[in-house]
Amino acid sequence: MGADSGSGAAPGPAVSWRKVLWERQPFPDNYVDRRFLEELRRNEGLRQYRYWAVVQEAGLVAQQISCVALFLTLWLYMEQGLLSPSTLLWTGLLCALLGYGLYQALAPRGDSDNHHRTRWSDLQSASIFLSFTFGFSPVLRTLTESVCTDTVYAMTALMLLAHLVAFPYAHPSPPGSLSLNAALFASVCLASRLPGDLHTSGGLDSSSSPSSLHTFTMLCWALLVFALWPCLLQRLRDCAPWVFGCVCVLVGVCGVGGLGSLWPGGAVLLAALLGTVTLLCPLLLIRLQSDKDNIQGPWDEAEIREDLTHFLH
Amino acid sequence: MVLKIFFPQCCNKADSGLLVGRWIPGQNSAVVLAVIHYPFIPGQVKQYIQQVESVCVLTFLSSPWFRWYIQQVESLCSFLRDLSTIFPQGQWLQLSREMGKIGFRCHVLTRDPREKDKVIFIHYEQRKVMLSQLHPIDNGVPDPQTESQLPQVFGTVCQSEPLFFLDKYDDGPVKMTHWQSEGREGSIIVELMKQASTPVCLLTTWMLTLWTSLCSSRILNMRPMRFISSKLSTCVQLSYRTEHLQTVCSPTRATAHNHFMRKANIFVSFFVDVSLGLLLVSWMYRENRIGKLANTLVPAADYVAKELEELLQWLMGAPAGLKMNRALDQVLGRFFLYHIHLWISYIHLMSPFVEMILWYVGLSACLGLTFALSLLSDITALLTFHIYCFYVYGARLYCMTVYGLSSLWRLFRGKKWNVLRQRVDSCSYDLDQLFIGTLLFTILLFLLPTTALYYLVFTLLRLVVVMFQGVLHLSVDFINSFPLFAMGLRLFRSYRLAEGVKFRVLCEEPGTPLHLMMDINPLKVSSVVQTYRTPTYSCYPKDSWLALCKKLFLGELIYPWRHKTTKID
Repeated sequence: MGADSGSGAAPGPAVSWRKVLWERQPFPDNYVDRRFLEELRRNEGLRQYRYWAVVQEAGLVAQQISCVALFLTLWLYMEQGLLSPSTLLWTGLLCALLGYGLYQALAPRGDSDNHHRTRWSDLQSASIFLSFTFGFSPVLRTLTESVCTDTVYAMTALMLLAHLVAFPYAHPSPPGSLSLNAALFASVCLASRLPGDLHTSGGLDSSSSPSSLHTFTMLCWALLVFALWPCLLQRLRDCAPWVFGCVCVLVGVCGVGGLGSLWPGGAVLLAALLGTVTLLCPLLLIRLQSDKDNIQGPWDEAEIREDLTHFLH
Repeated sequence: MVLKIFFPQCCNKADSGLLVGRWIPGQNSAVVLAVIHYPFIPGQVKQYIQQVESVCVLTFLSSPWFRWYIQQVESLCSFLRDLSTIFPQGQWLQLSREMGKIGFRCHVLTRDPREKDKVIFIHYEQRKVMLSQLHPIDNGVPDPQTESQLPQVFGTVCQSEPLFFLDKYDDGPVKMTHWQSEGREGSIIVELMKQASTPVCLLTTWMLTLWTSLCSSRILNMRPMRFISSKLSTCVQLSYRTEHLQTVCSPTRATAHNHFMRKANIFVSFFVDVSLGLLLVSWMYRENRIGKLANTLVPAADYVAKELEELLQWLMGAPAGLKMNRALDQVLGRFFLYHIHLWISYIHLMSPFVEMILWYVGLSACLGLTFALSLLSDITALLTFHIYCFYVYGARLYCMTVYGLSSLWRLFRGKKWNVLRQRVDSCSYDLDQLFIGTLLFTILLFLLPTTALYYLVFTLLRLVVVMFQGVLHLSVDFINSFPLFAMGLRLFRSYRLAEGVKFRVLCEEPGTPLHLMMDINPLKVSSVVQTYRTPTYSCYPKDSWLALCKKLFLGELIYPWRHKTTKID
């Protein structure tokens, strides 16, 4: 009955207006009274962030970026021949043993039976890893021989980006499938680009050819950095949170330093990136919280809550 | 109510007499079959008609006889009374023709007089209607109440054949006019063949029984022999022809029209097949053409092998600039090259015997052109067996690669195929599963172009061979199933296969009822082929194009031509 929409313009009969649809009321259809927008709620569930807590969480992201940088540094060292693969291999094994010891030391106090069983399955897993990697190294060595180098680099970059994006930052311990697989794919691509032919003419004292050893080393380090290190990190976070912060900083510094020894420009870029991620982004997050403007109210879509208690009586 | 009277054309000029025919129940129409001339003794006529009724048991006993008479004498009432005592029927019709007019007149005399019925005369050619078969053929026993008019008319004329055995030269008590009253036609050759057919059929049936018992003996029924004989199209064709011959040579006469046409079609196509085969054999064995053919077989096989080798060398390089994995390339290429080398060695080993084998085997083309074509198809299959082997290897390798890749791709994303629910679900894998899965995925992905290329090349080769074999099989099938006899009938005696009838007006005079001429509409050529096609083990493409492409993409083995099992009709 007309476009009369003023909230105070309608005559006020004795009966008061009710916000129901099934009853014929003497008000126009689009009439609202002074209780309009009473039920509007703004920014419900808004969280108050504290700067240093967010920085600490962001530290994990920075840590992962520097892990990737560290891995790339190792690859660069091997590619330029500055490090021999056997050295790296032994270093890696040592680190693995250390890490495993730390992992077991930080384990929550449970019965020792569990530990024995877990140790045996850990040994099984380790042997499976090592044997498969060693067996597949000759195949992986020549896998991307015919593919152009640029393509290989592009694929690696894409896969590492996917790894960083898909990484389960909230709970690194069961590793996310996509992130781990992307990282391993990238490492296989990189491993196949290592120069090995220069060493084949020399005398071979190990059972496998040197280039296979390159691949094997690369894959072992990929496993360490991308698969086993997050498990240790999770354990650290659970048991000793303050140590966790120090470890993140340490890893960041190592990453920057390692890259700097080969490519100073890259080190600067990495440092900038880490700083942005760790310090600038939390600031932005907190600053922008004040611009948040969500409204919730009864005109939202109906959420069906599974509350069937009213059926019980 | 319109009364329709079907009147044979041959009786138009007949003398007066008693009409013999059949009243079609429920349709208010009548079919006149013959005229019994004066003078006749009604008792003898009744005896004769009862004799005829006893021969064609089905038709006449089930329907009441009504007699009409054509009159050119004046006083009938006493005559009619006489007749009514002998032939106790309810309804009498009186047909007469006035001088100077062409059309008849009909006068209905019934015990219970009704209003005057309108009458239409429909003239038909008796011989053509008797020999014709109305389509679509009803295979069951027709219910007289529900069957429509035309099949009943045709059926009546067809089944009263014993009525037409008396002609005007017979010295019987009854003198009739019908289509055969000028004299029954016969031919000596036909009679001789009829006499000779029975012993020939018996002999052939005995020989066929011997042959089938030999084929089903225990030695030849072992698994490997059965498998080989099911794959060789010559053996399949042989068994098929044996079945056909058994159908044709069975000593029992074909009763239903379908059986008769089937026998005739099989006989004619077999005859044509054998004559074409003999022609082919005589052409091939003249001027030692078969020797020349044998001499070109081994060089042809050599040529094919050389071309294959060159193809493999090309694949082992960098074909079309594609990125092949060198190690795998070399392995596959060397493997296939070794196979070709083995194959050529076997061919060369057999080359002294090729001419003799071909000479004797070519003689079996005497059994028919279809055998020659099946033989050609089998020889092609044997000579290109290595291409088939390569195709199977390549397809299996590719199929494994594709399936592995799709499964590992799901692992890459953290998902799994749920076999129970037939859908993809998320799954949390263990660390070692993830690790090994990723390694394998990488390896398979980079090896995919190599395997795909080999698969593509060998599939194309195999498809060429399959197309050639398919063409041969289709032509064999065509020769087997095309109904030559039915086609010949349709072309030369088109009234024998009727689809319906058409009417045209003969004369329309005032004072006489309407006279129509019924002509037979022959069956369309496409319907002839469709109805009388001999069912065969027809080779037809098993999959649609879309399904075929999908199978090719996934690497499943394709056998595009599938044999149906023979339908027993």
